[in-house]
Amino acid sequence: MTVTRRKFGHLVLGAGAIAPMHFVRTAWAQPKPGDELVIGIWGGAQEKIVKQFVEKPLVEKFGCKVSYVLGGTPERRARAYAERGRPSFDVLYLNIFESRQAVADGVTQAPTAAVLQFAHLYDTAKIGGYGVAYNPVSIVYDKRKASKPITSWKDIWNPEWKGRIAWPSYPGAEGTAALLMAAKIFGGSESDIDIAFKKIRELKPFAAIQNSQDNLFQMFDQGVCDLSIEFGSFTRAYAETRNPNIAIASPVEGQAIAMNVACITVGTKNQQLAEEWINLHLSEPCMLAYAKEIYYSPTVSNLTIPPELASKLTTGEEAKKLVDFNWDLVIKNQPQWTSRFNREIAG
Amino acid sequence: MTKNKLIGLALAAPALLWLAFAFVAPFGAVLLLAFQADTGPFAQMSLIPSGEQFRLMFADRFYVDVLWRTTLLAIVVAAISAALAYPVAFWLVRLPARWRPVGFALLLVPLLTNVVVRSLGIVLLLAPEGIINGITAAMGFPRFGTLLFNYGAVGLALLQAFLPFMVLALYDSIQATPPSVLEASESLGASPASKFFAVQFPLSLPGLASGMSILFLMASTSYVSATMLGGKKVWTTGMLVWQEALQNLNAPFASALALAMTLVGLGFAALVSISLRRLTPWIVFRPSQSLATPKLVVQIANAVLPFVRYVLLPLSLLFLLLPLMLVFVQSFNDVPQATVAGFRGFTLRWYREVLIGSAYVDSFLVSLRLAAATLVVALALALPLAFALVRYELPGREWWMAFLMLPLSLPHVAIGVGMLRMLQAYTALPPFMGLLAVHVVLVLPFTIMLLRASVLQLDTSLEDAAQSLGANRMRRLFFVILPGLAPGLCAAGIVSFLLSFEEVTVTSFLTTARLTTLPVRIYAEASFSLQPTVHAVSTLLILLTIAALALLSRIMRLERVFSR
Repeated sequence: MTVTRRKFGHLVLGAGAIAPMHFVRTAWAQPKPGDELVIGIWGGAQEKIVKQFVEKPLVEKFGCKVSYVLGGTPERRARAYAERGRPSFDVLYLNIFESRQAVADGVTQAPTAAVLQFAHLYDTAKIGGYGVAYNPVSIVYDKRKASKPITSWKDIWNPEWKGRIAWPSYPGAEGTAALLMAAKIFGGSESDIDIAFKKIRELKPFAAIQNSQDNLFQMFDQGVCDLSIEFGSFTRAYAETRNPNIAIASPVEGQAIAMNVACITVGTKNQQLAEEWINLHLSEPCMLAYAKEIYYSPTVSNLTIPPELASKLTTGEEAKKLVDFNWDLVIKNQPQWTSRFNREIAG
Repeated sequence: MTKNKLIGLALAAPALLWLAFAFVAPFGAVLLLAFQADTGPFAQMSLIPSGEQFRLMFADRFYVDVLWRTTLLAIVVAAISAALAYPVAFWLVRLPARWRPVGFALLLVPLLTNVVVRSLGIVLLLAPEGIINGITAAMGFPRFGTLLFNYGAVGLALLQAFLPFMVLALYDSIQATPPSVLEASESLGASPASKFFAVQFPLSLPGLASGMSILFLMASTSYVSATMLGGKKVWTTGMLVWQEALQNLNAPFASALALAMTLVGLGFAALVSISLRRLTPWIVFRPSQSLATPKLVVQIANAVLPFVRYVLLPLSLLFLLLPLMLVFVQSFNDVPQATVAGFRGFTLRWYREVLIGSAYVDSFLVSLRLAAATLVVALALALPLAFALVRYELPGREWWMAFLMLPLSLPHVAIGVGMLRMLQAYTALPPFMGLLAVHVVLVLPFTIMLLRASVLQLDTSLEDAAQSLGANRMRRLFFVILPGLAPGLCAAGIVSFLLSFEEVTVTSFLTTARLTTLPVRIYAEASFSLQPTVHAVSTLLILLTIAALALLSRIMRLERVFSR
């Protein structure tokens, strides 16, 4: 290749334009005391755990300040989309399908090895951000009302549950898992969803449509329903503290994957702090705190988990066996499936 | 332009300007969004309007049905609340002045509890193992089973949440009725029922009209109660707007739905306003026909009066206070989630968590400052405007009224969506000012409606008398008009404070890391798992309010605030 004078000029100009970027990157990479990291996260137990196990060590190390924007995933996501490229969040927490879409939409960054714990993440936790907790979805039911323990997703269609099911609302994490599992066990898939809607329609009438875990537990307390599809983690905490009659099934087809994902925004001014934050979230003390308090299963493999705790979590080979889906297809179809759900199942 | 018109415009200007700056921009965004054809989250906004979203909406039975049912639900809620609010308002008016602050506290304190908690109270009432089923079972009747997840349950929750607003609207009108008029009717031999139908009811119509409009608009845009009590078997337009805007990121369709609901709401408000003018010709000094109530109606009314007084009234009050009792008991409950139904053990843990080193206190102070500032600004803007609307010629008055009601008739989620498009502008303001600007917009419709009804009922002969006795404008304002408006100002002030204090929908879009209000914090917890700390917070708030009232009544004679 010959370099003409003109080409050379362009190259020089180009290099000149790129050169300062090098300094910008270094400037970002060096957090100063007093820098402020803004985290978008759920309230309650989540806020408490990260304050203690992530914020504290981060502030000790860098002298930075951490602020929280609290709220539900939909509000946080809508805001991050409205602020694409000039975010007010540095790190925000999303669900599995939203996080992958956010990367595709240029709202958040794909994960990189700049977060040291990245090397130890399970494969499913490395897409669309950094998975910070598996929260598998399964069938939860009142064992007093079951003629035999539930061992398969198909058991939901056992006539003994007719009229006693609280189906999870779509599109939430639980409702999404329930819809996709229904398709899978009856020979359908993300690209062939009709069978799921047909089979779920067969279960009608529902005792209720539940729209959150708290909502469901209240229904169990009040005898509104006997079976639903929910995060095993939370239901375990509920069963242990409030309602020993509730069982969490381990269906032969597997539990459906659901995951909380930490995402760094595109355009953050605190890149390194954000990466350090996530690394601390993935560290042993924080992962164990989540596991002990709300039975969230770790997404990294380099932990020592006390055996009595491990038996209540989804770890190791079990974590690899969680049923995963093609989330790009799921998110693409969400509006249409929502519309169908509203009419055919909820209405 | 006449002098009268100029004064009218000048009085209206501050409120209209505030709305122009803080509301027109996000509303414009919603308007623009509703006419977009491309629904992607990053679609370029086009200035060429497209009716695509409306076509989709009206071509689909599902959406049309939801719109229609939401409208019916709101009408029924408004009507029933009027029926329940009259006995409560009369009871308040008749309370000895000394006890009136307590009566108001009973009415308003439930508004300090979070909407999630209040809906929970209704769940406990209606659940299969709940209070109603418990009572019927104890009386030997068969159980109803679950009474939840239908329009009745949602209606009940909305009624519980909004009844105080109707009572406030009626209270001011009823207590403004001159005692001499009532004495005259009694001396002419009117029974309690005919006194009500011939005198009190017609004179309370302005209050009823503003109450009906407020209730309709609030009920037709609600979504939290509808979601919790309707179990997704019941759909309201507010729920659809939320789902489209946030879960599907389809702002254009959400905006179109919101606009459709706004049109329905404004239509209803206009209908109420026209009926009011027809029914109350005396306000503008036109001759009125005497109202004859059929004898049978009067007889029936007289017969059911004891039932209303001794059964309906206590039940209404109990219904209002239900969440309070629930909150109090649950704040000591030793369970991990706030939604638990049974009492499992006594603990002070939740109080400890709230009071020691928690962020609740900071959030409480943010909310307090914000609500106080909102109250002051809203009253300062609404009072002159109310005079402009009632006493001066304001060109296009009805249009202005419709414009003023817009923030109320647009589902809050839609305002939030509009705000998201304007986020850069709002984040450029200091965060507190941004929130204040929005909160004032949200409470203005209420303050204006309440104050307008108040100004309508001012006895102008008192001002004439003062003038003839040589009082100048200022003296008339401070010694005649403002004391006359005191109950209305007080009601409007309390409502603005409470509405701002508990606003969460729009605030959660605008909240920043350094400025988290108490409801946003509670809502954030509810988005994950609500702990009984929320009950401890509510209980503390209620105790604080009662203490503040008690202290105030020591320092000043509170009863004067609540009556003319």
